[in-house]
Amino acid sequence: MNSLQSQGFAPIVSHLKKDGSEWTVKEKLLLGLSPKEYWAVQLRNPFNWVLWVIYAVGLPILVGRFIYGLGWVTHSSYDYPWGLFLGWGLFTMVPLSASGFMMGTTVELFGRKDFKPLERLGLLNGLLGYLFAVMFLQVDLGQPWRLIYPMFVSLGPAAVLFLVAWHVATYLSCQVAELVPAFAEWMNFPKAKQFIKKIVLGLTVAGIILSTLHQGALGALFTYAPGKVHPLWYSSSFQWFQFFVSAVFAGLSMLIVVSTLSKWFMRWRCDETYLNNLSKLTLGLAKGASLALITYLVIRIIGIAHDNDWQYLATGWGAWFMFEMVVGVILPLIFYTMAVRNSNASLARFSAFLAVFGLALNRLNTALITFNWQLYQEIPHWREVVIVVTVYATHIVVYRAILARMPILYTWKENK
Amino acid sequence: MGGRKKTLMGMAALMLLTAPTGAQSWAADGPGTVELGSLANHYSAVTFDHAMHVGVATSCADCHHHTTGLAPTDPNCVRCHKAGAQAQSVSCKDCHSDKRFSPEDLEKTGGNPQLYHKGKLGLKGAYHQKCLGCHTTMGGPTGCQDCHARNDQGDAFFHSGKYAPAPKASGGHGGGH
Amino acid sequence: MKKLHRRSFLKGGLAGGAAIAAVGTSKHAEAAGSFGGYPDSMGVLVDLTKCVGCRTCEAACNKEQGLPAPDKSFDDPSVFEEKREGGLPRRTTEKAYTVVQKYDVPGREHPLFRKVQCNHCNEPACLTSCFVNAYKKTPEGAVMYDHTVCVGCRTCMVACPFYIPAYSYSSAINPVVKKCIMCYDTRLKFGKPPACVEACPQEVMTFGKRKDLLKMAHQRISDKPGAYVDHVYGETEVGGTAWMYLSDVPFDKIGYDTHLGDQPIISYVKEFLTIVPMVLTIWPALFTGFHLLSNRKEALKNEDTKS
Repeated sequence: MNSLQSQGFAPIVSHLKKDGSEWTVKEKLLLGLSPKEYWAVQLRNPFNWVLWVIYAVGLPILVGRFIYGLGWVTHSSYDYPWGLFLGWGLFTMVPLSASGFMMGTTVELFGRKDFKPLERLGLLNGLLGYLFAVMFLQVDLGQPWRLIYPMFVSLGPAAVLFLVAWHVATYLSCQVAELVPAFAEWMNFPKAKQFIKKIVLGLTVAGIILSTLHQGALGALFTYAPGKVHPLWYSSSFQWFQFFVSAVFAGLSMLIVVSTLSKWFMRWRCDETYLNNLSKLTLGLAKGASLALITYLVIRIIGIAHDNDWQYLATGWGAWFMFEMVVGVILPLIFYTMAVRNSNASLARFSAFLAVFGLALNRLNTALITFNWQLYQEIPHWREVVIVVTVYATHIVVYRAILARMPILYTWKENK
Repeated sequence: MGGRKKTLMGMAALMLLTAPTGAQSWAADGPGTVELGSLANHYSAVTFDHAMHVGVATSCADCHHHTTGLAPTDPNCVRCHKAGAQAQSVSCKDCHSDKRFSPEDLEKTGGNPQLYHKGKLGLKGAYHQKCLGCHTTMGGPTGCQDCHARNDQGDAFFHSGKYAPAPKASGGHGGGH
Repeated sequence: MKKLHRRSFLKGGLAGGAAIAAVGTSKHAEAAGSFGGYPDSMGVLVDLTKCVGCRTCEAACNKEQGLPAPDKSFDDPSVFEEKREGGLPRRTTEKAYTVVQKYDVPGREHPLFRKVQCNHCNEPACLTSCFVNAYKKTPEGAVMYDHTVCVGCRTCMVACPFYIPAYSYSSAINPVVKKCIMCYDTRLKFGKPPACVEACPQEVMTFGKRKDLLKMAHQRISDKPGAYVDHVYGETEVGGTAWMYLSDVPFDKIGYDTHLGDQPIISYVKEFLTIVPMVLTIWPALFTGFHLLSNRKEALKNEDTKS
């Protein structure tokens, strides 16, 4: 598509074509290209070749999971009931999707309208992350058709997962509502947009409350197994707070990562406002992320002090802990700070990739790698890995499809 | 009463006393063999060689503890049973219930605050702990089928013998761990 | 920012608040109290000095609970040599609610055999972690599981400090948690002992009221000094369990986790559960306040233009 743009292709930015007639939904879906042109573009894209290989291998296995059961795609471990579906799909994806409530809060609540060009990307990142977290959950649950049981059939309100279930469901609705304006612009439903505008503050406050609690709750889940997570990753009092604070910088960093990727690979879709403001906004996000990072670093240290776990630092696990802290927290903190001081957006972007890696490492460490540290190490089944790659590929496909069409990376031109 | 009548009555009394345990033959100290079959289920009845055990025991109280009139030596027992009174019966089943832990049995033991021996073994436990206790220290049969052969019902229960599962091919996936 | 209409703000705030209130109910245990079990609940005392590893209990459980045929006969001692990942001994599975483990203890003439099954805790971790309320601690003492509401999230398996619940991963359409239920449906409800207790030839297990069993256990320890480790495992561990153990070998040498502490697992979660209502009540006012604070310049400007 980028090359098409250099040949003079102009992406759709309003309801009306150059000749004054309206775009149909089908034309909008095909990005204003003829079907032949559209498929030619798809066939030429090397990333699509990778996707087709992924689906060729992954789709049968994903379907097989539902036909043959979890025993076919996992090691059927009783000691390790949770694997990559939750380790990656839920515990890693959810904090990386915190960009939704971060941007909503920044723009609508704190009134920082200068961040508006990135607001919708943050919201979309949030929405899709949570949506696919639910997809991963459906793959992982033993009886996914019973997903609504904690809501309507049999409630266990004292359980932390109850809170997670309700919050994710409610928060998804919030995020869908927050993105309705973008959808309404694209589809020309002005009333929907006006309605959302009226309740956007309420939605934002709801989003902050829900996010604080469920990001923390994901951490609190591990307090059910105090002896099973390695002491350097487990804090008796602060587990929930560690997960919440790390979600803050994870969401901001993921937004930097996604905005960078969109600038590189979907430049044709980005408008002037977006591209011209991106570096400045990246540095703004870097500022926020660095504050969250230093807070997180302090809380991790306090967590160790509070439980008096210093002696573990001198072990093999201690070395692994230091690796996670240095690469995932301390280096991003330093680089973000340097980037802000020197107005170096590229350094901030590199730092964001490190921070996202560090967050993923932390969640995988807590949920899988240091889990059952006193028993043995569990390597996920290869089919489990394939399914995770397949579902995540779908996430990217949907992401790309929406970014290419709806006014996220560009501003819709309202015609009367 | 005449002497002969007395012997006959004595023998009748002895027979009555020991009749429920089934067929037995007489020896100098108690029966020669005793058929222990009241608990037979997965195994056949035990043909217990009483005479042989009389030969290896140092005293009747080794097995028939607390019932023979001999004072106990265990300091825990002496506390209450210094006098060592003789019991009505020395037979295991007359003190050790064959319906251990049944609601009635629990009612009796649990409901009585004066009862010291709340943990008194049931008949099955008494047999095994008493017999195996000695057999392990003094040398004797310790395998299940050394004392009582398993019957067909027992084979099915243990999934053994002709009910044994076919050997599995090794390295099957989905074994769970 | 455009003028904030009070009416629309209230609408939005109420809508958001109502959404939160609907999800905000998080019932949590009293901070001060702990449960400690129903007063007359039953329990089982397992005297490991008496177990000879015959596995009759496993066979009895298999029959009583209608479990599938085992991979090996119940009189096959080679199962004791089977190791799972990490060199760990055999554990409960979807086909075996109870297993006997063998430990060769240096200095002990015979190996020690240990029976493993659900300990039916007073304040079970599985129960506290279940978001569909599938677990229930019955007054009789058994921790029951309702497979008709289970979604299969497997948090209970993560929570159980004893690694007991297994899951029938092999089933595609109805995978459920599998664990010992203390023969509640067929026996305990009627005051009868579990099948394994009744079947054991050595009467390793004593069935009775938990409070009586504790007295009995300590009596046994004091009656035979040196014959037992002076500790009843399960008396206080994770808030106390219905199944308790006596041993002549230190518990940490025979596979027991002796670092579990006396707090029921829910104690570790209570700190977070307390945060929930705090956030729900404080956040709305706090963040609305932030919003008003950050908007003060615009609000003042709007007032100036009005006047």
